[in-house]
Amino acid sequence: MMYYKSVLTTCPYCGCGCNFYLQVLDGELVGVLPCKSHVTNQGKLCIKGWNAHEYVFSKDRLTKPLINQGGRFVEISWEEALNIVVKKFKDYIDNYGPEIFGVLSSAKCTNEENFLLMKFTRAVLGTNNVDHCARLCHASTVVGLSQTFGSGAMTNSIGELEKANCILVIGSNTTEQHPLVARYILRAVEKGAKLIVADPRAIHLVKFADYHIQQRPGTDVALLNGFMNVILNLGLEDREFISERTEDFEELKKVIENYPPAYVEKITGVSKDDLIDSAKTFAIANLASIVYSMGITQHTTGVDNVTSCANLAMLTGNVGKRSTGVNPLRGQVNVQGACDMGALPNVYSGYQNVTDEKIRIKFEKAWNVELPSKPGLTVVEMINEAKKGSIKIMYVMGENPMLSNPDINHVKEGLNNLEFLVVQDIFLTDTAKLANVVLPAASYAEKDGTFTATDRLVQRIEKAITPIGESKPDWQIICELARRMRSNQFEYTSPAEIMDEIASVTPIYGGITYKRLEKDGLRWPCISKEHPGTLYLHKEKFTRGKGRFFGIDYKEPAELPDEEYPFILTTGRIMFHFHTGTMSRRTRLLNREVQTGYVEINPHDAEKLEIHDGEPVSVKSRRGEIKVKALKTNRVPEKVIFIPFHFAECAANVLTNPALDPVAKIPEYKVCAARVEKLSDTI
Amino acid sequence: MIGKIRELAKRWIAEGKTDAIFGLKEENGHVAPNLFIKKSELERLVISPNYSLCYTLRPKNSNIFSLLERKYPNLKIGVVVRGCNERALFELAKRDQVDLERIEILGIACTKEEALECRCPKPYPQNLLVGERVEGVTNDDNVEALLKKTLPERLAFWNHEFSKCIKCYGCRNVCPMCFCQDCRMEKEQWVKTGVLPPEDPIFHFIRFYHISERCIECGECEKACPVDIPLLTISKLLRRDIKELFDYEAGLDVKQESPLLTTLDETLIKRGE
Repeated sequence: MMYYKSVLTTCPYCGCGCNFYLQVLDGELVGVLPCKSHVTNQGKLCIKGWNAHEYVFSKDRLTKPLINQGGRFVEISWEEALNIVVKKFKDYIDNYGPEIFGVLSSAKCTNEENFLLMKFTRAVLGTNNVDHCARLCHASTVVGLSQTFGSGAMTNSIGELEKANCILVIGSNTTEQHPLVARYILRAVEKGAKLIVADPRAIHLVKFADYHIQQRPGTDVALLNGFMNVILNLGLEDREFISERTEDFEELKKVIENYPPAYVEKITGVSKDDLIDSAKTFAIANLASIVYSMGITQHTTGVDNVTSCANLAMLTGNVGKRSTGVNPLRGQVNVQGACDMGALPNVYSGYQNVTDEKIRIKFEKAWNVELPSKPGLTVVEMINEAKKGSIKIMYVMGENPMLSNPDINHVKEGLNNLEFLVVQDIFLTDTAKLANVVLPAASYAEKDGTFTATDRLVQRIEKAITPIGESKPDWQIICELARRMRSNQFEYTSPAEIMDEIASVTPIYGGITYKRLEKDGLRWPCISKEHPGTLYLHKEKFTRGKGRFFGIDYKEPAELPDEEYPFILTTGRIMFHFHTGTMSRRTRLLNREVQTGYVEINPHDAEKLEIHDGEPVSVKSRRGEIKVKALKTNRVPEKVIFIPFHFAECAANVLTNPALDPVAKIPEYKVCAARVEKLSDTI
Repeated sequence: MIGKIRELAKRWIAEGKTDAIFGLKEENGHVAPNLFIKKSELERLVISPNYSLCYTLRPKNSNIFSLLERKYPNLKIGVVVRGCNERALFELAKRDQVDLERIEILGIACTKEEALECRCPKPYPQNLLVGERVEGVTNDDNVEALLKKTLPERLAFWNHEFSKCIKCYGCRNVCPMCFCQDCRMEKEQWVKTGVLPPEDPIFHFIRFYHISERCIECGECEKACPVDIPLLTISKLLRRDIKELFDYEAGLDVKQESPLLTTLDETLIKRGE
């Protein structure tokens, strides 16, 4: 029967949480139309959003379960596939116990699905070994902001940026990675706000900045300590805020005294005049916001970096008010939600600790099962243990560690050493290619659920078309597996019912129901059915009571350049692609813009090495080597090179250092030592 | 007013004047284009916020009316239009992108406030069926302010504005007049790929050249721009030029052929020539 309708849903790319309509003509997706009345995107989208319908009907979609028979994938029925998986799972639990399982949940899946996979891992498999790619992007945020403020999420909401008087963007390429957040930064600038961009690269946003602070990669703690040193020396700190709202200020002060601008200049390469001027600008602004992203978090000092941002915000009294705060921008559509849902090895949903007996008993009662008390393994640790043989089975939902993890050669060894690997995805990713069984999942356009945006906004996604081929929504697949594992705790008829369970055990989501999300969504904390949600956090009181300062000394990155590897390699994303490229590289317009990877190299360095623009070169690190085309550009300073990580054929993560932050266990993607060589066989 | 529109729409379906009504549907406080087939659904028909109803769906590169026409050869659709939507339909019809024989126009008038907000010169359709016609906006403050600038100042102004561009193609995507199967904005010989901001001014000017005489001044491009580039101001100046040069105003007269589709002695260039 003829029909044409527009189905309101949430964009599946970054964490901005833009809403658009999927236009459906007789069951076929024919277009995307940005929602004009959405609080964040107001009728606008970036290039990824405008094309987000295209990969859904890519001919590469997985449409049937697959089994790997001697390196060849053969289609099998759901019945067979699920039985094979369940038999393996049961046999291994009986023979080895639950700790041999590693489960990866997904920042691309809904809250409901993440909640279910975390429940499945804990209540059915019986281990806390569940994690997801937040480990690789904002694990340090969760730790850093929890210890200082008591809540590891973006303090304010996106639209508030427009009214800030000063914005410090540090380690975020906002126009490219969070275009609809950049919108509000640019609007603030047009209204006269001061913009300070601290980034080793001359990113697009620098064009609009009053100050471009070009710190050496990995020196952020020194830089921020320098900022605070200037502010304290000039007496520009907010004494009232410090005395009323915070604690341990003396601890901070003692450390900050050791970071005078001249010393900071030596470490960071930032001139002391620029440091003083920009620090002053930040401190005297009435409403100052800090915006950061992977440039802060993806370091062995990630937690220190995040904590230093929190220190600066508290020192200047910029927390708990509109248009201020510490604002981590989260890179995946539901990475905030996947964390909120407890797809992490140490917490249940709502950041409730697995080691807290009272909490554990609450979940045991709710799920009628005994739960493990020992925190589980993180993403990188699971791979390490797989290589050692103590993790024997992995179940991966919508993640692609074969491209997203650091040191890919090592990841491959780990995954190849598994005795059984199940991958559930919409495409046959590089990770899925290593699987024993591949389960075809439905995309965002084919299911109901919720995503939580970077600013804690919980929003609906709505089914626009029926699942492609025999693919199924992830929540249904998890329920099928759980039932076959003889659990009676997975009897849901719809994602709305799963959300009701989430609300019943998760205080920060306590007031959330599908009915209440219908119009504009709700920002957590939303603790009761009457609670209106929370625009910005820590209003009268920090979540942990008082905001806590930490005195933090600068530590060098784990690997620095030397004679053999003279460059600092830093990695990241670009406007036209997304993460491991599984979606964006299957989208015509995006693929047209950038077809493969490249290494950005400063023209001076390129000339010294006699490398021409566009010439294929070799880039080596202690982990591996890739062949990639050179892009001569002043975007990078001398002695720093940049490679986007989207492209499997020249994967930046072959080179990156898997050294971890000691607490958050986030790898140091932003700094490693590398060498660039001209290839002998080229002219 | 909305009551009258719904009533008329229902009558058209009941009397078989049209098989369906194309218009905006409200659901949970948000509004989007929809094809109403049952009379009962029409309680959800609304008129604000307005959307560019005829924009080209990608990668199909057709507007929804032409997709429906091709799929359902006997279908007759009633379309709820404001002045701008009707202008778009007229210009599309001249270029074989919709068949007006298959469309029944249910024209509605915009309010004074709406006209001001859109800086619209003609806030009502030719086929006005519901609402009172109000005068359009003749003087545009943004255009006047720009014209007061010196040429170097104007250049600096546009260089700044275009430097914000994040190459979303939203201006093209929502444009009811951008329907080329093979878009020139996507040609590497004109615009280098993979660079932000895209080359200034060629990236934007390709579009403006292409729609120069057919731009119907709806301003959807500016409304879709995530970085607030004042694109409507350029559109207005372009329309002014086309009027001066060719005495042509897109969308006003469905019978007047576009000067760029005719030869110098004003005979129509046949399709395929």
